Amino acid sequence: MSARTVFTNSSFAIFLVLSVKTALFGAAPAPEREHPGKVVYLKLCAECHGDRGQGVEDEYDEVLTGEKSVEALAKYIDRTMPEDDPDKCSPEESKLVTAYIYEAFYSPAAQAQINPPQKELSRLTIDQVRRSVMDLIGRFRMGPGFDRPVGNEQGLKATYRGVELPKPGEKAVDTTPKKGIQAKRPNKTIERVEPVIAFHWGADSPDKVVLEAEQFQNRFEGSVIAAETGLYEFAVKSENGFRLWVNDGSESDVLIDGWVSNGPQVREEKKSIFLVSGRTYMLRLEHFKFKEQTASIELWWRTPHGVKELIPAHAMRTDRPRELMIVNTEFPADDSSGGYPRGTTISKAWDQAVTDAAIATAEHVVENLDELSGSKVGEPDRGGKLRKFAFSFVESALRRPLSDEQKAFFIEAQFKAAKSPETAVKRVVLFTLKSPEFLYPNLRDDEKQDDFEVASRLALALWDSIPDKKLAQAATAGKLHTRDQLKAEAQRMIADPRSKAKMQGFFHHWLELERAEGSTKDPKIFPGFDAEMMADLRLSLFQFIDQVVWSEKSDYRELLQADYLLMNEHLGKYYGHPVTGNEFQRVGCDPMQRAGVITHPFLLASLAYTKQSSPIHRGVFLTRNIVGMSLKPPMKAVVFEDSHFNPKLTMREKITELTRSGGCMSCHSMINPLGFSLENFDAVGRWRTKDNNKPVNPVSEFATADGKTVRLAGPRDIVNYVAENPSGHRAFIRHLFHHIVKQEPTAYGAQRVDEMQREFAANGCNIQKLLMDIALIASLDGIPVEPDTKAKK
Amino acid sequence: MKHLDRRQFLRNLGISAGTLPFLSGLPSLTGAPAPQKRQRLIVMFSPNGTIPNEFWPEQEGADFSFKSILKPLEPFKKQMLILHGIANKVGGDGDSHMRGMSCLLTCDELLKGNIMGGGGNPAGWASNISIDQEMKNFFQSRAETKTRFGSLEFGVAVPDRADPWTRMSYAGGNQPIAPMDDPHQVLKKLYGQMKDKESLVSILDDVGADLKRVSSKLSARDKALLDQHMTLVRGLEQDLADADKQGALAHPVPKVDPSIEMVNDNTPQISRIQIDLLVNSLANDMARVGTLQYMRSVGMAQMRWLGIEEGHHSLSHDPDDKKESYEKLMKINTWFAGEFAYLAKRLSETPEASGEGSMLDNTLLVWTNELGKGNTHTLDNIPYVMVGGGCGFKMGRSLKFDKAAHNRLWLSVAHGIGHTSLKTFGKTELCEGGALVLA
Repeated sequence: MSARTVFTNSSFAIFLVLSVKTALFGAAPAPEREHPGKVVYLKLCAECHGDRGQGVEDEYDEVLTGEKSVEALAKYIDRTMPEDDPDKCSPEESKLVTAYIYEAFYSPAAQAQINPPQKELSRLTIDQVRRSVMDLIGRFRMGPGFDRPVGNEQGLKATYRGVELPKPGEKAVDTTPKKGIQAKRPNKTIERVEPVIAFHWGADSPDKVVLEAEQFQNRFEGSVIAAETGLYEFAVKSENGFRLWVNDGSESDVLIDGWVSNGPQVREEKKSIFLVSGRTYMLRLEHFKFKEQTASIELWWRTPHGVKELIPAHAMRTDRPRELMIVNTEFPADDSSGGYPRGTTISKAWDQAVTDAAIATAEHVVENLDELSGSKVGEPDRGGKLRKFAFSFVESALRRPLSDEQKAFFIEAQFKAAKSPETAVKRVVLFTLKSPEFLYPNLRDDEKQDDFEVASRLALALWDSIPDKKLAQAATAGKLHTRDQLKAEAQRMIADPRSKAKMQGFFHHWLELERAEGSTKDPKIFPGFDAEMMADLRLSLFQFIDQVVWSEKSDYRELLQADYLLMNEHLGKYYGHPVTGNEFQRVGCDPMQRAGVITHPFLLASLAYTKQSSPIHRGVFLTRNIVGMSLKPPMKAVVFEDSHFNPKLTMREKITELTRSGGCMSCHSMINPLGFSLENFDAVGRWRTKDNNKPVNPVSEFATADGKTVRLAGPRDIVNYVAENPSGHRAFIRHLFHHIVKQEPTAYGAQRVDEMQREFAANGCNIQKLLMDIALIASLDGIPVEPDTKAKK
Repeated sequence: MKHLDRRQFLRNLGISAGTLPFLSGLPSLTGAPAPQKRQRLIVMFSPNGTIPNEFWPEQEGADFSFKSILKPLEPFKKQMLILHGIANKVGGDGDSHMRGMSCLLTCDELLKGNIMGGGGNPAGWASNISIDQEMKNFFQSRAETKTRFGSLEFGVAVPDRADPWTRMSYAGGNQPIAPMDDPHQVLKKLYGQMKDKESLVSILDDVGADLKRVSSKLSARDKALLDQHMTLVRGLEQDLADADKQGALAHPVPKVDPSIEMVNDNTPQISRIQIDLLVNSLANDMARVGTLQYMRSVGMAQMRWLGIEEGHHSLSHDPDDKKESYEKLMKINTWFAGEFAYLAKRLSETPEASGEGSMLDNTLLVWTNELGKGNTHTLDNIPYVMVGGGCGFKMGRSLKFDKAAHNRLWLSVAHGIGHTSLKTFGKTELCEGGALVLA
């Protein structure tokens, strides 16, 4: 494939059109009160941009708005407007026009006032449905991950059972069983924690000093952490008997059953299971040997974006959570037309998926009803207990105490209509999960602006889920009335793995990592750069982000400015840093070469073609997500076709030629300098000094949003400019706000983003504090807050 | 059923398929009358051998009288074959119970493995397909006999473990098939979509009313989304109603107590429910082959409903002269005969869809066991009782063979049902002499 559409993954273009029409003389004299800039605007600009900047069909049909500062905009207008004769507008007039349009409609704040964005009624997103249902059922089971955090001890608890060998000097006792292993009572148990399950005992026992080798039974118990949502393939390898349970530990729900062996060869059996990120799932592996020549056992997995590997110690815990309800229904993708997935549209396919999920949940509840309701069939008060269960199920799902009307509707009517209380519970579950009160958590209802509403919003913001028991109790006790109270709850919740999972989702969104999934490189040009490399790079990036975000400083600037990478031996070898071992470690780099996320090879590789770098992809990403300037879709899609260019040109020369023509440069004057400054990185993110056998030229002049010119000669120049720059902050804040709240920040006040930016800058760009700030803004919107207790005194 | 299988399962049922979510791709669900005769095979298993003296008739031929264990089957005397002298001669690894069970329908040696029994070498799963699955594949390979499931494997009180003692059906070598021993599991597999549909229908009105109630308080803008939601709910209701019109069952789903627990003492009720479900699924032509497995070989059911506290397997080891045990074993085996008779009775009471005769006329029932006798662990004279018709066998007889390999018996069954291209089954040398002549 030599041809590629430059704009495939990203769309961008100019925001001020270059018109061929001339503004004519003779505009009516303006009334005295009119802004002098408006007079100029109406005379020279309105013909193409409309009298209120709304645009004119067949001229410039986009709304005239953008991120440039007053100074930068004035310069720009003076230099380029009107398009056919820039001299027609004097520097003085340009300033007047700018002063007028900036306040009237150009600035984002002005736009927010003209079209105040409103909070939109939204259904739960896919992720929110999965998490809400999981936590809803979890409320009735509790255990690790619910009423206490999952323990930190890594690895699995191993129990080895077998026949004890005689101690030195002791006479051997004949323990040969008469009836096979079932009847043979093992008389020695060894317990220890194992970091990784990969044992090859050969003809020996797990402990050849203590245990007889002929037969033994082992059990490895604990849990696995799902760092990402998706399908996990588990695999067990052994020549002996084995069984593996994941999440559901009941005997009959074994995930992999390889109890009966088939000759001396090692068998591999595998099975996939869908897991939701930010949660820890029970895992149990049983293994037994009986008279086979040898014994071995290995436990593998493949995570959603990973490669097949022995399950690493850091992904396993010895703690054992209870079963979680996993909604693995396939949903149609959430609407992302606004730039981030949210629940503002519905469809038949969505309704069908919600129905399937509700049915699966109802089945799970009915199958596990005794456990969930704490009652037994035939117990005298079975009916009463089931009713109580139903009541608390609905209350948790709707995130508030039920009104009398709701009680009658959701519970009494169902118990009355159903033939048995069990069937009634099933109906209640189905009805609740299909009800608008569950599916649309932000149904605005002024009577309900209370602590429960606050709790509901907070849980949705931080966890994409329903309030947990503690938060619900705080709401019931009326303890979400002050900012301090709410902050304390939010603090607790931010430390939970569910918040971490949500933040991971944010970084996935902000860094546009989706494009990396399935991205491959030409193996002839980049031998050794395979799926495993991408998987390692992904881990390296996420571990770096995790370390920065969840450190005390939680400094956004470190994400951009760090002069180190996390590498393991595999990555180190490829990228030229000596590292030993499989664990990721910090590798110091030349600060002029590496600068935080924007030079992470995973990102650089994802923003590149299979054979070559792509300054445009890199430039567009940097412009929008890092520098924080807006780009509109291109006027026309242009295809980058390598074969059209002189084969001796560098990538920079090709792109320069491609975007040279008039219309392109209004956006590419921003995109190209940023993209070119990363030209020292090839398509897999390795440092290079030559492209196509010519020296790389990474130097450009970049005109900033506030009207200055910055010389960019590499990534360090970009991050130094951006890290303290309000425009970059705002881009980060907007992305985070979208991801956390799933609404426009301007719907929470026209100046909201600016306010948050000031707070962010004042807090040392602390990401956790920003997260807290956003969660509080979303939770307390429109709700009167009592003064904090300190202030009260 | 809580991992991927559920999704696959729901998808197979058509639940998440587009426009007619509860009906797609299931023509035979309705049990529409089919023109040809529906031949069927059901194999019932009970464990731990029998009491030969109380089981086998003295006489040969049509004029025989029932010993006590088989008395419950007297009403079917004319439709019965009692086959004495059939032996499991497969041999190989594994103890008698293992080979008795896992070679019962597969007729070949067990694979090497790690499962150690009470004697012999450790062994693994069966190495061959089982005869029920062979017949299923035969039926499924022909358009006119193809059904939704082909075969259904039922169980009663089968313990939750998979080993050569608990499995008799195999899709192929090393591929054991687990029987469904929970009626709820069966209901879900057979009629899950209909049950889901019923539950949904019951709440959709409420969802509609709730939407109305909630949206009356909303602004016009927010209301638009809920109005659209309301349209979706109405659409689903319509789909369900349409599906209902097309999807009426010829034989309604038997009622199952939703709260019945899968415990030992409920075995008699569970047994009857499973038989009803088996008959019902065949009546609705979801399958042509069925198996019904009671417990497992070496099964330890405590039949307290017969006044017996001891586990079945322990009792079966007691010597013949221990009178108390002898009588208890008689009771146990008579109870199994009663369940077999109930199965035959239910089939005989259900008319064929064609209108001609009862289902029993076209269904061959085979009741068998993994052992001939519990306290000797013999694999000779394994109980084989057949009831029904449709195979061209001359029924109403007590037959005596001399250690005929059971491979040959299953060949007769296959040929009787029309699978005549099957020349040998299982271990080839044991098929010498070909199918036993039962016509």
